[in-house]
Amino acid sequence: MVEFGSYLLGGVTSGIIYALLALALVLIYRSSGVVNFAQVGQATITCYIALTVQLRTGSWLLGLVTALIAGVLLGLIVQVFVLRPVRRSDPAGALIASFGVLIALQGVAGLVWSGEFRAFPQPFPDTPLVIGGAALPFSVYNLVTLIAAALLVVFLAWLFNRTDVGLAMRASAHNPEVARLSGVRVGRMIALGWGLAGLVGALAGVLVAPLTLLSPTSFNVLLVFAFTVAVVGGLESPVGAVAIGIFTGVVLSLVTGYTDATNTPLVALALLVISLILKPEGAFGHRATREV
Amino acid sequence: MVVVMTQPDLRVRDLSVRYGPVQAVSHVFLEAQCGQVTAVIGANGAGKSSLLRAIAGLVRPSGGEVHVGEDEITGGRPEEIVRAGVALVPEGRSTIPELTVTENLVLGALWHSRSQRGHTLVQVLDLFPALAERRHAHAATLSGGERQQLAIGRALMSKPKVLLLDEPSLGLAPMIVTQILELIQRLAEDTDLAVLLVEQNAVTALRVARRAVVLNLGRIVMTGTSEEIAADEQLRHAYLGY
Ligand SMILES: Nc1ncnc2c1ncn2[C@@H]1O[C@H](COP(=O)(O)OP(=O)(O)O)[C@@H](O)[C@H]1O
Ligand SMILES: [Mg+2]
Repeated sequence: MVEFGSYLLGGVTSGIIYALLALALVLIYRSSGVVNFAQVGQATITCYIALTVQLRTGSWLLGLVTALIAGVLLGLIVQVFVLRPVRRSDPAGALIASFGVLIALQGVAGLVWSGEFRAFPQPFPDTPLVIGGAALPFSVYNLVTLIAAALLVVFLAWLFNRTDVGLAMRASAHNPEVARLSGVRVGRMIALGWGLAGLVGALAGVLVAPLTLLSPTSFNVLLVFAFTVAVVGGLESPVGAVAIGIFTGVVLSLVTGYTDATNTPLVALALLVISLILKPEGAFGHRATREV
Repeated sequence: MVVVMTQPDLRVRDLSVRYGPVQAVSHVFLEAQCGQVTAVIGANGAGKSSLLRAIAGLVRPSGGEVHVGEDEITGGRPEEIVRAGVALVPEGRSTIPELTVTENLVLGALWHSRSQRGHTLVQVLDLFPALAERRHAHAATLSGGERQQLAIGRALMSKPKVLLLDEPSLGLAPMIVTQILELIQRLAEDTDLAVLLVEQNAVTALRVARRAVVLNLGRIVMTGTSEEIAADEQLRHAYLGY
């Protein structure tokens, strides 16, 4: 039973990582209609930048802040310089372009920081938290992950639902023509969506890198899980991404705990297939939310 | 004799639109003056929507000019043209169903200050009591007539000098159409708004319009007062089908 509890809570933590990456995919899919496979490549680069800053300054926090800023900038750069020009001429090519960017970013990471696995420091102990002599089934690291993700989700919810920019972004995602006719600069809103996705992806990267270690391709497996989560959640639903992300994290953690970690990609695939059969529009998707 | 001329608020000169080999609008001249409704009537495929979409910046004209007051807006982006005072309500109840009624309205004036926007919102909700009642509902839950009112309300939120309406009557019950168009006519007169009303439904449009142009295969085949056009039997048979 103790095991179950720790698998469960460990699952919540990795689920939050999947949820954040899926959320990044959803933010972009909603505004651009593209699944951005480059997301994990962007997160990898921002983690290397964070690592460099941490090694130079000795400050984890400064590394985190740099990663978040770099995440936003990299998202903007990828959208403005690659996806926007490609998409204008060929919407189907956008998907391929995002793959190209992923491979290019991994190449850059390898060239600049080498292909070796590197330890990614983090100041939060990942050992069971002890309060009053009792060992709890979670660590400070688990707690920090949870709080950081919660803060980010609250921030995004506030941004989308309570601000002018958020309204403009939602309108641009649902109906770009009406948004433009209303005076919204839709191109900027799409770029902003990519920037926000970059921020979310960068946070996920910094949180997960201590566990996966950092190499140019160490986040690839996360892309598979995040993609599964985003699709199962409905691709357009931020709530779906978070809920299904945590659910998937728990399921995969239990699978790892009771069987073997090598089974997790198969289980993720099974989740994807079952969901596509039962509810093709996604657990949190709507049939025909888009007007033609 | 002193003739007082009102400055026409929207002037379209020699405007053409083409889609590849298809010439949808050919050398159209027209004016829409403030304080009245000007109708553009013509059969399906006559080029009415293309004309409005070119004025609003959704398609780039292949030739010609569009002026609003003193400003030229030809070939501008839609988001800039609406800021210059020209608001389009496109064909087919262009609301965003995922947003609430208030959000749809506020969207139309995001670049205004919050206080100005609040002020305009009160005016627009006064104009459309049905929307005021349902202001927190999602637009998806509105009836067809209410959604058309919402689309018009969103355009009015930008405080336009020129309002472009693309077939507001489409798919609505005749009584609702009359209500909406009479409201638009009153609004034009009371607030000195120039309205360019595109309609396939000529009878309804001519009832509220002061002047009208008849469009056929992208060309203007007649310009005149609504009475003149309604009285021209040959024209009605040839282009308006009644
Ligand atoms: N996006 C487009 N691409 C190609 N042809 C178009 C497009 N939109 C309209 N057309 C053509 O232009 C002509 C005028 O269409 P439209 O402006 O929609 O007329 P109306 O609004 O009067 O029905 C039609 O022949 C139509 O098929
Ligand atoms: Mg039309």
